[in-house]
Amino acid sequence: MASGVLKQTTGLTGLAVVANPHHLLSVLYGKILRTIQKMPSSAAYRNYTEEIIKVRAEIVKNTSDVKELERKIGCGQAEELIQQAENELVLARKMLTWKPWEPLITKPLPNQWAWPCTK
Amino acid sequence: MLVHTVIHGGELNMAACILRQLSRGIGFAAKCKVYGGTVSRLTHGEAAAVATETRPTVRKFDAIQHSQLTDFGKYVAECLPKYVQKVQLTSGDELEVLIAPEGIVPVLQFLKDHQNSQFANLVDIAGMDVPARQYRFEVIYNLLSLRYNSRIRVKTYTDELTPLDSAFSVFKAANWYEREIWDMYGVFFANHPDLRRILTDYGFEGHPFRKDFPLSGYVEVRYDDERKRVVVEPVELAQEFRRFELSTPWEQFPNFRDVPAAAEEVPVDPKEKK
Repeated sequence: MASGVLKQTTGLTGLAVVANPHHLLSVLYGKILRTIQKMPSSAAYRNYTEEIIKVRAEIVKNTSDVKELERKIGCGQAEELIQQAENELVLARKMLTWKPWEPLITKPLPNQWAWPCTK
Repeated sequence: MLVHTVIHGGELNMAACILRQLSRGIGFAAKCKVYGGTVSRLTHGEAAAVATETRPTVRKFDAIQHSQLTDFGKYVAECLPKYVQKVQLTSGDELEVLIAPEGIVPVLQFLKDHQNSQFANLVDIAGMDVPARQYRFEVIYNLLSLRYNSRIRVKTYTDELTPLDSAFSVFKAANWYEREIWDMYGVFFANHPDLRRILTDYGFEGHPFRKDFPLSGYVEVRYDDERKRVVVEPVELAQEFRRFELSTPWEQFPNFRDVPAAAEEVPVDPKEKK
């Protein structure tokens, strides 16, 4: 590790310390970017995710110190960032089958969301 | 107390509340006038001035939180235009996403796994029965994001026969909550691993939280001394021909018929909604 100090624990139950977060994160971010390339370019989910991932991937590329990396991204420890990236990857792959960027699937009936329903 | 909880959402409603406080001494006629028209004629600036909350026991309006919640509601609606029907804020600071029943799994999965939301905890699933509607049952998912310290509510709807998709594939916690909904309302969840009764007794029939379930139930249970066991019999009322007329002929809260809705809708970009 570049920081020179070996990290003992993440302090979170069930979350083990990862020795090489840079490698794992860049691999995961690459996978996510490749997955969301398959979505239409007008999809809001694709654009927002691309934005987040690109910013994070840039930070991961330019920052060698893990502490510094965590501070710059500001979303938890490196291990948590890996977990978030894994979740995002699973979500992105599922999104490809769900296609949530299509127009509204069912319109609600006019009184469906009216509350209190007075007659 | 109901009055307060109903009108506390939004600035205008706050204004209504304070005006009501002021007019408390004047009497009933004055109150009616406040509800009828005065509030709607206030301009935004005036409303803001009136709405500055000074009472220590009343929650203050938080403009930053309000705008954050509004923005996040718009964000969800923009990312999932296929499923999100409406986004609204209730009680000023509770974000609700109202979705089509087809979208339960995608919406919950998005809220759980997307890096900007991370609502990883399913706090509760609630049900609601409104017999006046064609889709009479509402199913309400309360989610919590520990990462961003915020909560969101997802609502959808169904009727007696249409099954909803089970959220079990997204949140393992949904298992028992959905059994509760099934037991109390009779809403069927497709793909649930173990959909059984959970709260009612063995052999119980019916769904007790439905509005058409009688208050006295259908059966009564007692210990029979001769047969030395518990017997279940149809309800027999001690007083013959007694009619339980539970709805009153009077309207309960006529003062609040014209009160603006408790929820404040978050405008979603119409071109996204199609």
